[in-house]
Amino acid sequence: MENSQNRILMAKTGLDGHWRGPTIVARALRDAGFEVIMIGMANTDDIVTAAVDEDVDLVGLNIGGHIDVAIRSIKRVQEVRPSLPIFAGGTIPPHAAKQLQALGVEVYPPGSQLADIVDAAERLTGTK
Amino acid sequence: MTKNSTDKLVTSTSGIELKSYYTAADIPEQHKPHVDVAPGEAPFHRGFHASGYRSKPWRIFQLSGFGKPEDENERIKFLLKSGETGFIMEHDRNTADHCYNVNHPEVVARCEDVGLTGAVMQSIRDTAICMDGLPVDTSFGHAGGAVVQHAPFALAAYWTVAKQRGFDLSSLKGTGQSDFNLTYLGCVTKEQIPTDAGLRFNADIIEFCAEFLPRWVPVSIAGYNAADTGLTPDQELGVLFANAVEYLDEIKRRGKMSLIQAAQGCGGVSFRASIHIIEEACKMRAARLMWSQLLRERYDISDPKVSNLRIHCVTAGSKMTYQQPFNNIVRGTAMALGAILGGVQSLGVSGYDEALSIPSEHAHQMSIRIQQVLQEETGIADVTDPLGGSFYVETLTAKLIEKAWTFFESIQKQGGYLAALDSGWLHAQAGENQYQEFMKTESGDQKIIGVNCFRDDESPFEVDGFMGTDDAFDVATERLNDVLRTRHEMGAARALKQLEADCRSDKNIMPVMMDALAAEVTLGEIGDVYRDVFGNWNTPIQT
Repeated sequence: MENSQNRILMAKTGLDGHWRGPTIVARALRDAGFEVIMIGMANTDDIVTAAVDEDVDLVGLNIGGHIDVAIRSIKRVQEVRPSLPIFAGGTIPPHAAKQLQALGVEVYPPGSQLADIVDAAERLTGTK
Repeated sequence: MTKNSTDKLVTSTSGIELKSYYTAADIPEQHKPHVDVAPGEAPFHRGFHASGYRSKPWRIFQLSGFGKPEDENERIKFLLKSGETGFIMEHDRNTADHCYNVNHPEVVARCEDVGLTGAVMQSIRDTAICMDGLPVDTSFGHAGGAVVQHAPFALAAYWTVAKQRGFDLSSLKGTGQSDFNLTYLGCVTKEQIPTDAGLRFNADIIEFCAEFLPRWVPVSIAGYNAADTGLTPDQELGVLFANAVEYLDEIKRRGKMSLIQAAQGCGGVSFRASIHIIEEACKMRAARLMWSQLLRERYDISDPKVSNLRIHCVTAGSKMTYQQPFNNIVRGTAMALGAILGGVQSLGVSGYDEALSIPSEHAHQMSIRIQQVLQEETGIADVTDPLGGSFYVETLTAKLIEKAWTFFESIQKQGGYLAALDSGWLHAQAGENQYQEFMKTESGDQKIIGVNCFRDDESPFEVDGFMGTDDAFDVATERLNDVLRTRHEMGAARALKQLEADCRSDKNIMPVMMDALAAEVTLGEIGDVYRDVFGNWNTPIQT
């Protein structure tokens, strides 16, 4: 399967408008051939709706705030589409990263390599 | 350090080619007459004042705030006790940046985020708690209001509380920032008034301060926010002055106040101090020269009190790493050194836990200690502009100025700073730089200790993120309900109606904002008026 057949939803869980991180990641994923759908700052309902309507193959969350906000969205997505993989990046301190990993979410904190993030996208969507 | 081949091209962050050493012959002709000028004299690149830090040490000024207003108050008092010489009141981003109350559905959906990056202040009662016992009369206070649409509220709240406590507004010193680079470039919110309405707000604040708060810095253009979004040092300079010109031209067009006074109001700016120490020091020197040049050539202003730029500086948050966070203490020190060698008046050092969370108490104190060690132990404050006359420093300063004016001109060609924001041109520049910068660390061309090399750290020390308090949302909800229940409703309704009328007119909105705050109108109600009157900025980027 080609990357171009896969769609990745990207959303920011918080209301903080810094955009450096997610746009760099989106560009790397697009350069690797993925179709990236960015919905910006999104609450749980926005994320779940987009994950279903856009029929995406992977969800990428940019987390800049409290981990419980992200966890609420993750759990809802997992209820509605149990097999849909999720990965996350952003300002995620170690204790929060452990909470996400326990939910099966891969975590890419600041300093992660783009190549590793693209690799993860390929692995999680089954192109690799 | 790995050995580089000596013929490898070495460039500064601004893309200026660097030689392995410099001589007098390298200093550009147009800059040579400036080299031997004393600090405190035009064109001011050598520093604000001849006696420099001997007569006035730089202000230790740390971004601070989280949780409930009383949590923030407690932290600020801790910082002041630790030796901070000004204070900054951060407001909760979720509510402040969008002008929402905590009961707004978008905030409720993220209730745990509330208070994570600043205290929730929805009415003057909250601001009063946050300011309790703070030295507003003797210190330099940052009232919050970094985001443009939030500034009138934050400023009016601070001033009204100060007034109620018997302080004379005309002697208050401080700022609220109200920064376009943050609002429309670096941190693009979900809802924000359009740039032309933002320009009007800032002009209103500048005019209001000239009349009632002459010692206040009404707006503080933050090159920081452009730089940490990706603009290079030369671009940071260019964009800052393109922004200043937009304010000054608007004040001139309105014709209500003297341009000299307006220039004084716009002449307290902030820059980012990043990790390339010498280039950053040169940037501060370049900025002062450019400001005096701009005022003289474009506005015929040469009053030394106005032409002398005052600079606050914050070390680059984006340079702080998640991995091996104690390395960031060294980075903070290095970046602070660049700012100080550049002669800034005020400095904030990012916390060593910047990439993980807002600063813990310890990280916060360490940011102050870094500055105190530099100030008291190193001798760096003994001589003004210690790098002045260095062949390299003078050459790089001159080259930065040249490159910065080129970027300034390219913004003017876009139709000016506002147009370059509205079109997304500046975002594209920043985005491209970000990506290239990232690629350099990805390839290993730019080494970052603990991130793409020397990753085998076996330090037993671990740092986890500081998460503030967990009751900010609940308490803010109770307090909002309490204000709405117990305030004088007719007075609040009248003030709100007048606010809307003044927003729709060309009146200065600050007098009515003061009335509205005194009448306990809340942040979200004011935001609703803005949304109704001004609508939403058409965001040029997809995030």
